[in-house]
Amino acid sequence: MSRVSSALNPERGGRMVRAAVLAYIGFLVLLPLAALVQQGLAGGMSALWQAISAPGARSALWLTLWSAAAMALINALMGTATAWALVRYRFPGRSFLSTLVDLPFAIPTLVTGVMLVILYGPHGLIGGWLNAADMKIAFAPPGILLALLFVTLPFVVRAAEPVLLEQDPAEEEAARTLGAGPFIIFLRVLLPPLVPAILSGTVRSFARALGEFGSIVVVSGNIPYKTLTTPIFIFGEIEAGSPQTAAAVSLVLLALAVVLTYAGRALEKWTGVRGV
Amino acid sequence: MKQPSLPLALFLVLAALCVAQEGVCDSPTRTLTLGAYTAPREAYGKAIIPAFQRYWKMKTGQEVRFQESYLGSGAQARAIAGGFEADVAALSLEADVDNIARAGLIRHDWRAGPTQGMVTRSVVVIAVRKGNPKGVRDWDDLRRKGLEVLTPNVRTSGGAKWNVCALYGAALRGGTGAAKGNAGAAEMLLRDVLRNVTVMDKGARESMINYERGVGDVAITYENEVLVGRKAGGTYEYVVPRATILIENPVAVVDKYADKHGNRDLAEAFVTFLAKREAQRAFAAYGLRPVDAGVAKEVAKQFPAVRDLFTIRDLGGWSQVDRGLFGASGAYERAMAAAR
Repeated sequence: MSRVSSALNPERGGRMVRAAVLAYIGFLVLLPLAALVQQGLAGGMSALWQAISAPGARSALWLTLWSAAAMALINALMGTATAWALVRYRFPGRSFLSTLVDLPFAIPTLVTGVMLVILYGPHGLIGGWLNAADMKIAFAPPGILLALLFVTLPFVVRAAEPVLLEQDPAEEEAARTLGAGPFIIFLRVLLPPLVPAILSGTVRSFARALGEFGSIVVVSGNIPYKTLTTPIFIFGEIEAGSPQTAAAVSLVLLALAVVLTYAGRALEKWTGVRGV
Repeated sequence: MKQPSLPLALFLVLAALCVAQEGVCDSPTRTLTLGAYTAPREAYGKAIIPAFQRYWKMKTGQEVRFQESYLGSGAQARAIAGGFEADVAALSLEADVDNIARAGLIRHDWRAGPTQGMVTRSVVVIAVRKGNPKGVRDWDDLRRKGLEVLTPNVRTSGGAKWNVCALYGAALRGGTGAAKGNAGAAEMLLRDVLRNVTVMDKGARESMINYERGVGDVAITYENEVLVGRKAGGTYEYVVPRATILIENPVAVVDKYADKHGNRDLAEAFVTFLAKREAQRAFAAYGLRPVDAGVAKEVAKQFPAVRDLFTIRDLGGWSQVDRGLFGASGAYERAMAAAR
């Protein structure tokens, strides 16, 4: 092994690795995306516009956007708090908590939806009780929000954690000696270096939520104009034999994801050094 | 050691594969691939396929192995049209078989048989809780304020269109409170019922799973779904509306793939077998109404009669319904928008 790596010209080896990775990612990501764009634009711009401005599509897009935004907001707050608790405190069950945070990634999202319905459905453990108080979680927008929060849980936590680990306690102490209160310390000393990481985690969770299908299709109720999110609307169009409408609306999600990714990068640069 | 030549190696590998497969390579085992929709899964798997295997063995001495795939009807049709090489397609909707034909894979007139290509029937019914606590008797009851109704999404479940056609068609035929032929009143009924729908699942099965879980007061569904659910221990019941639609499920040999696999005789025999009494009885045991008149008489007690049974042709056929009812500016879309 060591013979091979030393024999490789580092310059040429680097070029080869780069070319291989580029081909790999291009094949894996760029090619399918190109196919989607082609299908989405197949009917021309007016057909594209018609597809995404139809009332059903518009209401689905709106629901997806606001539920993802609400999720992202809660994630930014609670994710940071969770990372904070995991890094700053030693308490019994800490490593268990850390494992729990990662678990949502390992659970099939369809199963997530089923769990939520069992729990929050009108006859569920909690849902039955809430139902009596006339509050609906499953088959209503709160169910969508819960599902999104579940499937995106690790994003902000895992983004903020390494930054918190690297923070030098000396800075905090210096601030305290200079007479700063805990609130000022948090706002002026601890938070600024965290912002890029929080933003990046939040943006990623938002992008992930735009496309969430498995849990939502089970938990939301899928009623057009009320609880039908964009990915399920798209699925319906495919099933109903309108792949062009499906591709057109998918393009909107794709464009959003691209814009978000770039916006996230720009924000990270603007707010300071990149976390990672 | 001298390496064996490539042809020899290939031969050895193939021989090993053959032995692993069947013992002997030229054993008379044949494989038939069935692409079906999900509702008759138990009927095929537990009764009809074993019966056909016995029948074929007796007739020809050949063993038949089945590769079965069960998906939603629309998805299965798309899979076959997209290259899933099923010898026989057993679907829920004629339109799905037509889609496979349009892709050039079914070349014969699949409706030419004695049963017009159909092997089973069912009717759209209303599932109610045990003892029918809400006193639901007919379509009009579904518009009652506060009643929670389940029906799948017509976009994701082609079969869910039957439910809407049953309700809308019954209204058009004067089978509900609406005057006969009054399209406006039928659309109002549709709007009111859609307003009561709390969950639109991906498919008919998912919808009944939610119903079994206790969601909703009633579910619009097919009779066979209720009968299969009750067989599996479900405690719910069903009412047959005064007027409802007859569902017919087609089966066809997929010419291109059956020929490609050298399975034409086998595939045709299987499709013919499905209309025979033994298979028809098996379908009936799993809640599907038989197309064979003799078997229908035998099992008449099992399936309540319908006062006014109409078909999709009474609504002008699927192409008319897909445009006028489910099209972008059709009655369904209007009712859905008005129900929000």
